[in-house]
Amino acid sequence: MTDLGQRAPEPDLEANAEAVESQEIAKAQSLWQIRWALLRRSFRNNWKLFRRNRIGIAGLVIIGFFATLAIAPSIFFATGFWSTSVYDPVTGLEPNPPSQQLEIVQTVTDPNTQIDIRQVLVDGRINGNIGDVIDVTLQPAPPYGKHWLGTDPLGRDILSQLMYGAKAAFGLGILAATVTVLIGTVVGSVAAFYGGKIDAFLMRLADLLIMVPGLAILIVISAVVRFQLWHLAVVIGILSGFGGVAIVLKSQALAVKVKPFVDAARVAGGSNARLIVAHIIPNVMPLSFLYMMFTVTSAIQSEATLSFIGLLNVDMSWGLMIQLANNQGYLLQGGRYWWMVFPAGLAVTFIAMAFFLVGRAMDEVVNPRLRKR
Amino acid sequence: MSRPLLEVDHLVMNYTTEKGDVSAIQDVSFTLNEGESLGLVGESGCGKTSIAMSLLRLVAENARFDSGEIRLDGTDLLSLTDEEMRQRRWNDISMVFQGAMNAWNPVYKVGDQIREAMDLHFHPRLSNAEVEARISKLFELVGLNPAMMNRYPHEFSGGMRQRAIIAMALSCDPKIIIADEPTTALDVIVQDQILQELKKIQADLGMSIIYISHDIAVIAEVTDKIGVMYAGKLVELGSTREVFARPRHPYAFLLLSSTPSVTGPRRKLAPLEGEPPDLLNPPTGCRFHPRCPYATDQCATDEPPMEDAGDGHQVACWNWKEVPELGGLTK
Amino acid sequence: MGKYMARRLFQSVLLFLVFITITWFLLYALPGDIVTQKFRTNPNIPPEAAETAIRRLGLDRPILEQFWTYVTGFFRGDFGVSFNQYPRPVTEIIAERLPRTIVLFLTAIVTYYWAGFIAGKYLAWRRGKRGEMAITVGGVGLLTVFYPWFALMAIWLLSAQLGLLPISKFLDPTEWRNAPFSANEVFMRLFWTVAITSALLFSVQYAANKIRDAAPARAIRLGGTVLVIVGFVFYWWGAGGVEIRPFAGDIAEHLVLPVLVLTLVNFAGIMLLTRSSMLETMREDFILTARAKGLPEKAVRDRHAARTALLPVTTSLVLAVATVIDGGIITEFVFSWPGMGEILISSVTSEDIPLAVTAFSFIGVMALVGHFVVDMLYGVLDPRIRVSSSQ
Repeated sequence: MTDLGQRAPEPDLEANAEAVESQEIAKAQSLWQIRWALLRRSFRNNWKLFRRNRIGIAGLVIIGFFATLAIAPSIFFATGFWSTSVYDPVTGLEPNPPSQQLEIVQTVTDPNTQIDIRQVLVDGRINGNIGDVIDVTLQPAPPYGKHWLGTDPLGRDILSQLMYGAKAAFGLGILAATVTVLIGTVVGSVAAFYGGKIDAFLMRLADLLIMVPGLAILIVISAVVRFQLWHLAVVIGILSGFGGVAIVLKSQALAVKVKPFVDAARVAGGSNARLIVAHIIPNVMPLSFLYMMFTVTSAIQSEATLSFIGLLNVDMSWGLMIQLANNQGYLLQGGRYWWMVFPAGLAVTFIAMAFFLVGRAMDEVVNPRLRKR
Repeated sequence: MSRPLLEVDHLVMNYTTEKGDVSAIQDVSFTLNEGESLGLVGESGCGKTSIAMSLLRLVAENARFDSGEIRLDGTDLLSLTDEEMRQRRWNDISMVFQGAMNAWNPVYKVGDQIREAMDLHFHPRLSNAEVEARISKLFELVGLNPAMMNRYPHEFSGGMRQRAIIAMALSCDPKIIIADEPTTALDVIVQDQILQELKKIQADLGMSIIYISHDIAVIAEVTDKIGVMYAGKLVELGSTREVFARPRHPYAFLLLSSTPSVTGPRRKLAPLEGEPPDLLNPPTGCRFHPRCPYATDQCATDEPPMEDAGDGHQVACWNWKEVPELGGLTK
Repeated sequence: MGKYMARRLFQSVLLFLVFITITWFLLYALPGDIVTQKFRTNPNIPPEAAETAIRRLGLDRPILEQFWTYVTGFFRGDFGVSFNQYPRPVTEIIAERLPRTIVLFLTAIVTYYWAGFIAGKYLAWRRGKRGEMAITVGGVGLLTVFYPWFALMAIWLLSAQLGLLPISKFLDPTEWRNAPFSANEVFMRLFWTVAITSALLFSVQYAANKIRDAAPARAIRLGGTVLVIVGFVFYWWGAGGVEIRPFAGDIAEHLVLPVLVLTLVNFAGIMLLTRSSMLETMREDFILTARAKGLPEKAVRDRHAARTALLPVTTSLVLAVATVIDGGIITEFVFSWPGMGEILISSVTSEDIPLAVTAFSFIGVMALVGHFVVDMLYGVLDPRIRVSSSQ
């Protein structure tokens, strides 16, 4: 018949690059080299799509910023720029806090009711008459040359705490996300591949976990186990890995399962386990990276919330910084002690937002349906 | 019978895109008389659906009418306000959407979706019972059980949905119905039934229909006139019999000779080579010249005007006389 | 539909049993001998009384028997006795706290769902116009904001700085010193009148929507609404309400800020979701049909695009139920709102096991009921589900 519309379009540069890569793939010696080349290609293609998403890039920039914050203290301490005795986020202490001259205008009988005046009467030793001018050390101190974000009421450096919190948040988020993805991928693949009772059991479990409020579970578990940070990460990972992520990855695995190459592998004599490891899991992976991002968001928020409530056994974290500011009444004065209130609160918000935005942008790459046409 | 109802006059429409203007309709003119049926054929992307949407003024936001007029009963539709145009939709011009489309909203009953149009446009306003009676009558006309009007779209088969769309298109007694690929996505038997029914309804009710299809054979049976479109231009227009028997434009010729005919004389099928042009940068002169076996130097520089080739059969080609009779094609 | 409902209900009950079993064993497996700590070594309880209490509460029975007693008791409405507030039954505490949580949740859910949907609808409709990007980023910001901090900032701004609303808690104790009513009495009266009023308002809207002609529909909508509101005003401002009104007002005032915060945080999610759902729906062919039928743009938007876009939004509500409850727990904690979430945290931290298990179970029940309602709602909204499930 006719060959209407059969002619290939002019090859452009991108197609050329791809052709070169295809040759590389063809020349590759082992299976792993082929896999690696294919992986690189799919990564490059996805990056090309991702790059166009301004919001996603903004998210990456924010994550980069916090990553820098997380690394910085190691460098500061190693180079001696910061000394541990002053700048340690937990045990540090500013020996010479700045002071301020205050004039006594009023005597107060019950200092606990008026926080701002309590500053003057901080340890009850100040005795003076109205009209006297006294030197009062500022603790918490507002930002100045030595402490760029000021100090907390115990004389510890806020910036150092913030950086330490960033490190904790990254560690927690990444660990939780990794556990989630590992479990979710395996559970999803196994459920899709074996079907039947195993599938039914895993999916009912997932339904149950989706339905139950995560924070409530974490609160209850924290009554049983005194949570360390990494405990929390693993628990969050397990909860979301067996929960919603498993359901999504299962549907993806189902789509992969019916592809011809899986049948081909089976005909070639691959065992079930081998089919899952070699064929299903690698093809489900890209989608699971997407869920890593959302898991990071929720893990960081759960951590901050639990340490804010006081159910977490951590030295220092953003949630704890806010708890401290709140318990001592600084939070409700908002603007006046802004360095105790805003850095930590905004840090949690921004990092959660950044991972969320990257996740959304990745969603648009993975789900062509969402792309702007 | 032959009063001109719809006149499309030198219509030019472009889509503004990031990469530049896409010339979707280039200088198209045709006339539709009362009670007449016109077919527009061409490859996908040739602008036939753009024309249909232009008649209802339902073009995409980035579409721009640069010149020309669409006159319905003498009124230029392009100069109406949005509100005036809205009043005319369905009332004057209604549409039978492509069978493959989800033209029905899944959450409302089919009858209610028809009623929605009638509540807006049918004069005088009907009572509940009258509306139902009318929908029943329309359903019977298109061969559906009237009880189906209280069902949801997902309970209809593809063919039934298409029939119901025809009933909806008829609901407000429009002067013109545009049928955009009315039978694509249906199986062949249903296709034929629906086309025959449309033809019968048209004869009974005396309305005009514009058929739009990529398949010239499908609409040949039901149209009086056929216009062949290529790359946003109308390249040939004539009575269905004329166009079929003696296609004048090389494109129409190739299109017809690439369609095997069971009943016609035995002939070789001629291939149509190349790709449809990129409408961002349409070819200069005749838009078909890069693919045309009869192209001359003039075709690359000058745009051919519509010429009369006898019997009201119009063609836009410098060399139409060179095009052989169908069936006499030799290698 | 009925069969489907029954099946879902059965599933929910089964899920709940699994849930309560896990919770119970988890919490009773707490490290350390809680019973000894709470009763035997408690300096406030004499040793003999402690032994009596332990025996009376069945805490010396085998663990499986205790569990069985708890589960069977649960369905009879007997949740045991609080350790810390001994001998106050847990049922009594829950009966007082549950309505307060439900009010907070219901008000917030209805408000945020409705407002988020409307906002998302308009946002999608004006796609590509100025400010869209800013609203989207702002929405994501609200969605991911660190919630306790946001709540505290709201308290700081609206209560501490501007003095518009009370800072936290359920009521203002100074005003209630000589109150002739108990807080619960006032609260329940407030609860029922508002619930009835809302139900009536909803029925009026529903009835008006069923009427095809515009004029009588408008008359019913307007007349009915005015009538119901007049009735409400008459009840509270009439002779019967004079004394109780200031106290009810105090509680209502304390309700505003928590509801506002809970609404704002959840609002953004619905807004963004409605937006993307609308954008997808607006590409559907039936939107073109609606336009071709000559419907006014407002009808295309509301009756066709928004109505259909509601479906995926409602699906997501299934997932949101848990999130909202989480948000509610934080809200109650930050605002010292005496509800189930606050009980959960305080009983867990003070190791009041019967109270903790019950509070957690009720949170589970709320999640299950929420799911069930959303599921049914979805069935009502989508005719395709309605039919296939009745077959």
